[in-house]
Amino acid sequence: MKIGPLNIPLKKDFSIKSILGFEKTPLNMLMAVSVLAMLAMLVIGVSIYLVHGHHAYGVTRQHPWGLLIAVYIFFVVSSTGFCIVGSLGDVFGFKDYTMISKRAIFGSIVTILAGFAVIAFEIGHPVRMMIYNVISPGLRSAIWWMGTLYGIYLTFMIVEFYFLLNNNMKKAKIFGLVGLLVGLAAHSNLGGVFGFLNARPISNGVFYPTYFILTAFITGIYLSFIIMGFRYKMNFNEKTKTLLIGLAKIQTLLLGILMFFEIWKMMTGIYGGMPNRAEVAEHILHSGGFMFGEVLMGMLIPFVVMLFTKWKSPTTYVWTSLIGMVGIFFMRYDLVHDTQLKPLQMMQTRMYQVSPEWVHYFPSATEIMISLGGLGLCILLYYVGTRAFNLDEEEGH
Amino acid sequence: MARYGMALDYKNCINCKACEVACKEENGVLLGADKHRIWVGANEVKGEWPLLDIASAAFLPSQCQHCEEAPCQEVCPTHATYYDENHVVRVDSDKCILCSYCMNACPYDARYVDDRTVTVDKCTFCSDTRLARGETTTACQNTCPTKVRTFGDLDDYNSEISELLRTREHFSLKAHLGTKPKLFYLT
Amino acid sequence: MQVEVSRRKFLQGSVALSVIAGTSASVTNLLAGHDEHEAEGDISVTTKTSIEKAENIPFLCGICVNKCAGFARVENGVVTKLNPNPYFPKSRNMLCARGNAGIQTMYDPDRLKYPLIRVGERGDGKYKRVSWDEAYDAILNGTDKFKGLKQILDEEKDNRATIGYCNGEGLSKEGFEVLVGEKLGTPNYVDEISICLETTLGGYVNTIGTYGEADLNNADYLIIAGANRAEAIITPDTMDMFKRTKGRGLKTIVLDPRFTSTAAKADKWLAVNPGTDLAFVLALTYVALSENLYDKAFVEKYGVGFEDYKNHILSHKYTPEWAEKITNISAKDTYKIAREFMAARSPIYYQGRRSVFSKNDFQLRRAMALFQSLSGNLDKKGGIVYGEKLALPKEDINMPMYAQVKSRFDKEGIAIPAQKTGSWIVFRNMVLEGKAPYPVRVMMMRKHNPMSGVPNTKKTEEFLKKMDLNVMIDILPSDTTMFADVILPEASYLERTSPVASYGFLEPAIVMRKQAAKPLFETKEPEVIYKELAEKLSKPLWEITKKYDEDVQDEIKSRGEEKVYEEDGFNLADPWEKPVYEQNKERIVEAFGEEAWKILDEKGVYYPNMENYHKQIDANEFQYYPEDKKKYTTRKDKLKLVFNFKNLAKKGIDPMPMWKDEWNFKVPEGKFRLVTGRHAQFTQSGTTNNIMLRDLISTNYLWINRRVAEQKKIAFGDLVEVKSNIGKVQIKAYPTEKIAPNQIFMLHGFGGSSEGMEFAYGNGANDALLIEDKIEPVYGAAVMHETDVEIRKV
Repeated sequence: MKIGPLNIPLKKDFSIKSILGFEKTPLNMLMAVSVLAMLAMLVIGVSIYLVHGHHAYGVTRQHPWGLLIAVYIFFVVSSTGFCIVGSLGDVFGFKDYTMISKRAIFGSIVTILAGFAVIAFEIGHPVRMMIYNVISPGLRSAIWWMGTLYGIYLTFMIVEFYFLLNNNMKKAKIFGLVGLLVGLAAHSNLGGVFGFLNARPISNGVFYPTYFILTAFITGIYLSFIIMGFRYKMNFNEKTKTLLIGLAKIQTLLLGILMFFEIWKMMTGIYGGMPNRAEVAEHILHSGGFMFGEVLMGMLIPFVVMLFTKWKSPTTYVWTSLIGMVGIFFMRYDLVHDTQLKPLQMMQTRMYQVSPEWVHYFPSATEIMISLGGLGLCILLYYVGTRAFNLDEEEGH
Repeated sequence: MARYGMALDYKNCINCKACEVACKEENGVLLGADKHRIWVGANEVKGEWPLLDIASAAFLPSQCQHCEEAPCQEVCPTHATYYDENHVVRVDSDKCILCSYCMNACPYDARYVDDRTVTVDKCTFCSDTRLARGETTTACQNTCPTKVRTFGDLDDYNSEISELLRTREHFSLKAHLGTKPKLFYLT
Repeated sequence: MQVEVSRRKFLQGSVALSVIAGTSASVTNLLAGHDEHEAEGDISVTTKTSIEKAENIPFLCGICVNKCAGFARVENGVVTKLNPNPYFPKSRNMLCARGNAGIQTMYDPDRLKYPLIRVGERGDGKYKRVSWDEAYDAILNGTDKFKGLKQILDEEKDNRATIGYCNGEGLSKEGFEVLVGEKLGTPNYVDEISICLETTLGGYVNTIGTYGEADLNNADYLIIAGANRAEAIITPDTMDMFKRTKGRGLKTIVLDPRFTSTAAKADKWLAVNPGTDLAFVLALTYVALSENLYDKAFVEKYGVGFEDYKNHILSHKYTPEWAEKITNISAKDTYKIAREFMAARSPIYYQGRRSVFSKNDFQLRRAMALFQSLSGNLDKKGGIVYGEKLALPKEDINMPMYAQVKSRFDKEGIAIPAQKTGSWIVFRNMVLEGKAPYPVRVMMMRKHNPMSGVPNTKKTEEFLKKMDLNVMIDILPSDTTMFADVILPEASYLERTSPVASYGFLEPAIVMRKQAAKPLFETKEPEVIYKELAEKLSKPLWEITKKYDEDVQDEIKSRGEEKVYEEDGFNLADPWEKPVYEQNKERIVEAFGEEAWKILDEKGVYYPNMENYHKQIDANEFQYYPEDKKKYTTRKDKLKLVFNFKNLAKKGIDPMPMWKDEWNFKVPEGKFRLVTGRHAQFTQSGTTNNIMLRDLISTNYLWINRRVAEQKKIAFGDLVEVKSNIGKVQIKAYPTEKIAPNQIFMLHGFGGSSEGMEFAYGNGANDALLIEDKIEPVYGAAVMHETDVEIRKV
C-alpha cells in the first residue's frame, strides 16, 4: 500500500474477509467473542464516563489514581518490554532473536496505543493536555517527561516498524536504538513519577525508576511467549524453540534479580519501623494482591517452573507466561494502590467519623469496563495487524 | 510583591468549624468533606474513661501550606500550579488537565477536585476574593471566634505575622520533607 | 469559565415563576416542594464573592441567642457572604459556623414561602396555599377543618386565657408577647425559658442579685461545670476563655460527665456524675469554711445570714470525703481545687446557662453563687460582674384590661410559679390531664418547636391535637408547624429590620439589625405580621369583649365606644403603627441624639464615645472600651449576698442549699443515664435543615462507651434502639471513651418528623421522645438528665 512517498507492504489477501476468515476453532471463537464483549464494554464504559465524569469511577480525594492508571502503566510497560525484546535482534544483532523483532515492535505499538486509549479517559482534559504540554511545559514534572518521551518513542517505534516491514535493517536499527533509549527514558520517568513523591515514603526513592526497566524486560518476555504461542499454536519449530529457550533463560535470570530486589525493598522498608513506610510495607506484605498476585503468580511460579524443567519445555512456559502476566497486572495495580495506601493526614476532619487508618479503594464497574475494553482493543489491533502485515521473519535476507 | 503566610495559634482552636464554613461561603466551594479547602483535624482521645489524656484531644487546623518549595508546583506537567506574585500557590484551572499528580505529591492532603471545572482546587488564601478586593484578612482568619489565625506578609518585618514568628516558638507540619511550608503553628 | 447555577439564582427564578403563575388556591401537598434535582457538581449552594462593589449591611445573627453583629455582603440583591462586624463588644468581631451558614437558612428551599391553611389532619402535611388575607381570615373565622378565634372566644365568654402562646428567643420576641400577651390579653405564656435557663437565672438573681457576666479576660482560675463553652458558644465568654487556658493565664477545671470539646481545652477534667454537682460545691464550700480560706471581710459586709450558712455547712459535714462517693470526684482533687480557688487572685465558678440537669438545680446554682461570694470575687475586675446596661426609652404599650380573663393555673408542683412565663411541662400536662380550671383551646406559636424542645414529644403532640386552633409564625416547616392550622411565613433575620436591643455588663452597647435583602417569596417581617393580624382581629374581637366584659360595658356607657376602643388599648394594632426602622430612630434619637443614630444606622452598633474608644489593636483584636471605662464595679455597697433565703422555706424549698439522698446518682443495672448537650454547629432543632451545617455533621449519633459497645458487639455506625419509659428511637452508634459506661449522649434537635424539611426529616433521633417530663420543684423547669434508658442493637 502506498501513502505518498511511503510504501507499506501489506499481506496480499488483507481484507475484511481475511480478518473474519479465521479458523473457527472453539478457542478462536472464544477469543473472538471475548474481544467483541470487551469492545462493547469499552463503549458502555466510555459512555458512562462521558455522562458522569470522574464520579463514575471509584477514585477519591485520598486515592486519585485508580485502576485506569494501573492499566495504563500495564500497557506501557508491556510496550517497553516488547521494544526491549524486539531490540535484541534488530538493534543489538543477536541472531537467535531476530525472528521475533517485527512482531515484538508491532506489539509495542499496539500496546502503547491501547494504553493511551485507556488513559485518555482518566485524564480530565486530554485535549488541554496536548495544548499546554507544548506551550506551558512543566519541565520538572516526571509526568511531562514521561508523556513527551512516550510520544516520541511511539513515533520512533512506528518508523522502525515501517523500516522493518520494508526490510530496511540499517535504518530500522538506527530508529530502533534511539527508540529503545527514548523508551527506556520514558519508562524510568514513569517510575520516577512515583519515585519523586517525597510525600509517599513507600514509593519515594530509586526503586521504581530502576525496577520498572527490569520488569519491562520481564513483561516483554512473558508477552513474547504468549504471542509466539498463538502464532505457532504451540507447535514450535527449531528456530523458534531456540529463541524461546533463550528467552526463558534470560527470564529466569531476570526473575531471580527481581525477587532479590523485592526482598531487599521489603526488608529495608520494614527495618527500623520508620513511620509511614514500615507499616505500609507490612500492610502490603499481608495483602492477597501482593502475595498471590505479584509474588506467586508474577514471579515464583514461572521462575520455579522454568528452573525445574531446565528450560526444556517452551510450551509450558507459554502457560506460565499467562500466569505471569496476571501477576504483572497485580504488580502495576499494587504499585498505584500502595502509593496511596497511607492517608496523608491521619486526623478526623468531621465529627462522628472513624479515624482514618488506610485508604480504601476498589475499582468501579465503569473503570473495569474501560480497562477490559482497552485490553480488547489491544488484542483487536494486534489481530488486525497479523492479518495486515507479515510479522514473521522475512525468508532469506 | 509580598510573601504571604499564616500563623496559627492552634491552642485556641475549639473545633467549631466557623473557618470551614466561612471559606466555603466566601469562595463558593462545593459542599462535602472531600471538598474541604481547609479543615480542623481532631483525634479520638486516648485513654479509658475517666482517665483520659487531655492533650491527645488537641485540635489542629490545616490546609494548603503554600510551601516555598511546593512539590505540587514541581510535578505539574502544564504549569497549571504556579506561584503568583505574592508567592501564594495557585491553580490555573484553564491549564489543569486533572492528571492528579499534584494530589499525590502534596504531603498535606490539601488538594481536591472541583466538580464544576473538573480541575484541582485548594486554598488560595482568598487571593481572588478578599485579597483581590483589597482586604487584609482571609475569610478563615476574619471569622474565627478564638482568633487562631494571623495571615500576613512574611517579607514585611513590620507585619503582625513577622512579629509573631520572631517572638514565639513555632513549628510547621512535615518539616522534614523540605517543602518549607508557610503555615506556622505557634506553641 | 465557572458557570454556577447557584441554588439561590434558581430560587430567585422560581420565585418569579410562582408569582407570575397566579395565586389561585390549589391543593398542594406541602411535601411536594422539591422539584429541582441536584445533578452532581452542577448546582452549588455557595456563591463565590465577587470583586465588584457590594453593599455591606449591618445585621445581627438570629441563629442563636448571642445576636452576633455582622455585615452582610449583598451583591445584586443576593447575600453572598456574612462577615463579622468589629464594632460590637459582645461578639468580639467574629461569626461562628452557624453565623456563616445563615445564608443557607435564608435561601433554604424548604422555607415557608406563602401562607398556608390546613386542609388535611393535623400532622399529615396537607395544606392549601392562600393569600395573607385569607390566612388572617382563617385565624379569625376558622374553616371547615378548625374553629376560628372569634367563635372560640365567643364560646368561652371572652376568657382570653383560653389562648396559650409560646415564642422563641429573638429580637421580635417582645413584639409577639405584646401582641398575644398584652393586646390579645392572655396570661398563658409558655415561654421557652422553662425548658432552658430559668432555674439558673433564678438561683443567681435570688442569691447575688444578678446573673452577671464572668470576666474571663482577667480571671486566673476557672471552674466551669456542665457549660460546654467550646460547643455551646456564648459571646464573649467563648472568645475570651480559650485564648487563656492551658497555662496561658486561666487555669481551667472542667466538670462534665462527658469529655466535651471544652474538656479537651481544660487543664483538668473531672468526670462528675450527672446531677451531683451540688455535692461537689457543698464540699468545696466546706473546705473554704472549715479551713477559713474565704474572704471574711467581704462576706461579713454584704452577706445576709452568713453565720446560718456556715453552721449549716459545717454541721452537715459536707466533706470532700462525703462528696467523693456521690460525685465520683476524688477528695484529694476537691481539697486541692477548693484551696486553689480561694487562693487565686480572681477565681470564677462559672454560672452556666442551660436547661436543668436535675431536680436540685436551683439549690446547685445558689450554692455556686454562694461559693463565688465566699471568694469575694464579685463586682470587680476578674470576677463575676454586674455591669451596666445602656437604657433605651421604655416602649409605651397601651395595654387593654380584660375583666373576663382568668388567671394562670400551671402551678402544680411548683414552689415559685413564674407569673409571666409559666412552665411548659406543667401547663401542657395539666391541660392534657384535664386539670386546667378552664379549657385552653388556642395555641398561638412563633419561632418555637416544642415537639423537639419539650420533653415527652408524644404528650406535646397530644396537646397540640387537643387544641381547637393552632397558629404558627415560622420560617421553616418544623415538626410543630406541621400541627398548625394556619401557618404564617416570616421573613428570616436577614430579610428584616428588627427593634434595637441593648446588651449590657462590662462593655454595654446598643445594636440594630438592618434589612439586608427584601423578604423572599411572600414572607413578611414579624412586626408587619403582628400589625396586620392585629388589624384583622381588632374589631371583631372587640365585639366579643363588648358582649361579655362588664367593665368595658360600663366604660362605654360613660365615655363612648370610640374612646374606650382607642384610649384603653383595644385597638390591637396600635404598637405597630410606625415601621420598626422609624421606631428605632425615634428611640435612639430620644436617648442618645442624632449623631448616635447615624452611627447605629451605618455600623449597626452604638455606644457613647464609641468613636474614641473603639480602636484596632492588632489584626484580629479590637479595643471596645478602654480599661478604665469598662464597667467592672457597679454595685459597690448595694451588693447583697443572700446566704439564708428564709422566705423559700414558706414555699417548701430549702432556704439554704443542702443535699438530699434522693439526688444520688443511681442507674439501674443494665440501663444508661441519658445526657443531652450541644455541638457548635447546631442550635437545637432550628438548624437541622441547614445544608451547610448538615454537611459538617450529617446526623446525630449515640455516644456509648467503647468498652460497653464492644461487649454488646456494637460498632461505629450500627443502628441501635434506645428505649425509655415513654418512648423509643433508633440511632447510629458512636463508640467512644468520652462517655461513662453507664451513660449515653445524643445531640439534641434531630429526628425531625416534618416531611417538609428535606434534610431534617427522619434524620437521626429526637431525644425529646425519650426524656421523661420531670420538673424541678422551684420554677417547674424541665429536668433533662434524669431519664434512664435501655439499649439494644437493631
